[in-house]
Amino acid sequence: MRDVVAAEWCKLRSIRSTFAVLSVAAGCAVLTWLIAFQAARAFDGLSPARRADLPLRPIQELGPWIAGLCLGILGVLAATSEYRSGTIRASLVAVPRRGRLVAAKAVVVAAVALAAGEAVTLAAVIGTRLAIGGQPFTDQTGSLCQDLPAFAVEGTSVAVFALLGLALGLLLRSAAGAITIMVFLWHIVPLLAFHLPAPWDARTGSVLPGALATQAAGLDADDSIYGDLLAPPVAAAAMAAYALLPLCLAALLFARRDA
Amino acid sequence: MTDAIAAEWCKLRSVRSTAYVLGTVAAFLLLCAWWSWYAGRYWDGLSAERREAYASAPPEQPLALALPICGAVLGALTVTSEYATGMIRTSLAALPRRPRLLAAKALVAGTVMLVAGLVSTTAALAAGKAVVGDRPLPAFERPFAEHVPHLLLMAVTAAAVTLICTGLGVVLRSTAATITAGAGVLFVLPTLATLLPAPWDERIWSVMPGNLADQIAPAPGVTVRHGVLPPAAASLLLVAYVAASLGAGAFVFSRRDA
Amino acid sequence: MIEIRELTKRYGGTVAVDGLSFEVRPGAVTGFLGPNGAGKSTTMRVLLGLDAATSGEALVNGRRYVELRRPMREVGALLDAGAVHGGRTAFDHLRWLARSNGIGTRRVAEVLERVGLAGVARKRAGGFSLGMRQRLGIAAALLGDPGVLLFDEPVNGLDPDGVRWIRGLMRGFAAEGRTVLVSSHLMSEMELTADRLVVIGRGRLIADTSVRELADRFGRGVVVRSPRPAELTGVLAAAGGSVEAAADGALTVTGLDVADIGEHAAARGIPLYEVRPRGASLEEAYMRLTGDGAEFGAVAP
Repeated sequence: MRDVVAAEWCKLRSIRSTFAVLSVAAGCAVLTWLIAFQAARAFDGLSPARRADLPLRPIQELGPWIAGLCLGILGVLAATSEYRSGTIRASLVAVPRRGRLVAAKAVVVAAVALAAGEAVTLAAVIGTRLAIGGQPFTDQTGSLCQDLPAFAVEGTSVAVFALLGLALGLLLRSAAGAITIMVFLWHIVPLLAFHLPAPWDARTGSVLPGALATQAAGLDADDSIYGDLLAPPVAAAAMAAYALLPLCLAALLFARRDA
Repeated sequence: MTDAIAAEWCKLRSVRSTAYVLGTVAAFLLLCAWWSWYAGRYWDGLSAERREAYASAPPEQPLALALPICGAVLGALTVTSEYATGMIRTSLAALPRRPRLLAAKALVAGTVMLVAGLVSTTAALAAGKAVVGDRPLPAFERPFAEHVPHLLLMAVTAAAVTLICTGLGVVLRSTAATITAGAGVLFVLPTLATLLPAPWDERIWSVMPGNLADQIAPAPGVTVRHGVLPPAAASLLLVAYVAASLGAGAFVFSRRDA
Repeated sequence: MIEIRELTKRYGGTVAVDGLSFEVRPGAVTGFLGPNGAGKSTTMRVLLGLDAATSGEALVNGRRYVELRRPMREVGALLDAGAVHGGRTAFDHLRWLARSNGIGTRRVAEVLERVGLAGVARKRAGGFSLGMRQRLGIAAALLGDPGVLLFDEPVNGLDPDGVRWIRGLMRGFAAEGRTVLVSSHLMSEMELTADRLVVIGRGRLIADTSVRELADRFGRGVVVRSPRPAELTGVLAAAGGSVEAAADGALTVTGLDVADIGEHAAARGIPLYEVRPRGASLEEAYMRLTGDGAEFGAVAP
């Protein structure tokens, strides 16, 4: 198994799309700093009432939000690039036990996504804090040490999207199809849920993959499009379900299908 | 040119991905019908004063979100699937005039999306009006004719996104990259824009290609108006985006080795 | 050692392989022949665990491929040379394959050297010619120094030098006591490379034989031309030969050799314009064997 994981790591490292995706994720962390810097300058000129309306958290959450899409696409490509190039046959000749191949892919994708997700999320939080200087944003009153654990939990959503992407890629074997479904799950379905009449907007919005990490961290949804009805442990369990159930289904199908 | 268009139409018709894209549009049409049914039923259960305040989303709301991304996928695949399979070389052997080939591709894909958009949004509105009946929901109760400009613009925007992604697909030559870029322009950039300090949030949001339709012809019965562009400027900008993307595509396409 | 036992593979309603059984022994190059669509690639894919058999089994060294712990150390396979991610360098492609089977990076450099790609090891495979990709595929097959080698149409896309190189490579492996199975639809190629032949058509076994046996079976007979064919036919038939008349007036005689025919004809004073042993090529033998087995027969215009 260690060999197979090492091989998957080699594979992921040696294609350009990995770097493209990771660069975009890193770039979005830098972008949050710039937006926060702008927001801090605007903050100076605001009346106290309008200052309360200018939270920093939506800017910070851009980090995990965009990284979720990026790494989700990385997960998709980890599967579909092999089908497109035909490398999948070489992979299966080298590692004929298919369950093991899927497991190794999942380990590598999850590890990369977790590392990238945490890096981007924490960079966004810490960087925006530094960018605003001492400005008293209403939602940034706690110390950084207090806030970081919750954001670290939010960063894990990136790994959930990555594993979901891998599962979609294995199931559909087509980058176009899998990425489109990723985009639907990541943004279009949440937007639709947001437009549902109450109470279904919050109910649906609470169980979507993008909503779970915030709830698992014990934060409220504030003015995001999501809901916050789940208790943290339930949300954490739902995240695990989103990450693993589609993957198990994909592995099952993958093991039965002619390559 | 007619031959090129006929050939592209044959190609587009004979791949499964086209059927999947149109199937997605059809599925969202059904979702629209359900959406309207739910809005009507929800309205029934409200008290009189809450009915006053209830502003339901319009019947074509699900399609409004799905059509642009369907267009992005269709536009991207028209070009990138040929690069993925190597068929682009066959196509160029058959039609060596590259701008003409690209024009045929864009025309066919754009028209398909335009028709799909018009048919689906009209059907969604008709179904919505039928389902809601005479309940006075503001997003449903206007006469059909008042909706026409908005529906037309939704379809035109979907077609424009298709064309933009066709051009982008030629430049990027990768399905994954093109669809991702399309999703980025449609969803990520507007979100980023809203986080900028005023007045830049509204200004930048207004020039995003996915947001132009509502500024050219807003949905009737919707009182909250987003965007700062007058209809003429927004229309011009939409045309400019399409021209720029297809122009860049044609420029790169005719200069690069296939 | 490869054993195919009663192997059947259906794709939907199409039977690709139909009750096929044969063995491939070590120490020889075995050619796996058949027209396009005969089921060669399917058999190889089932053998490698890529496709599941509908019934029957395909074993390598007595086990199913998926049961091998480090398969590349036992079996090296060249299936589809195009199956390389174009964005990866040749070195990276081989390195991940090597890692997956616990093979060291030094071996990667070795096989690249052996197939003549050491100079382009750091180039992206997307820019490789068909011949270079074929060499890269062969390098991948050699990575684990396996005792069993499978090559699916290995000479496709190779230039004459490359063809000769791979021929020598395969003969060398067989001489080292390895099992070598090479599929091809070109008998002329197998004639120069293979010791044994497994011929299939429409998924069924047509012949499992050595190259020499096949040549003997189809190569017998003497072609005779004479201005008096009818008379000669009677004479030769009486002498115990069997005679077939060809359309161009020549006779094909079996059961008598050149000397016999000459003597019988001279005894009756029948002139002979031509007497030669029929040098039927294996190509011809193969065409006759698979004549009914071809999946897609061309229709003459």
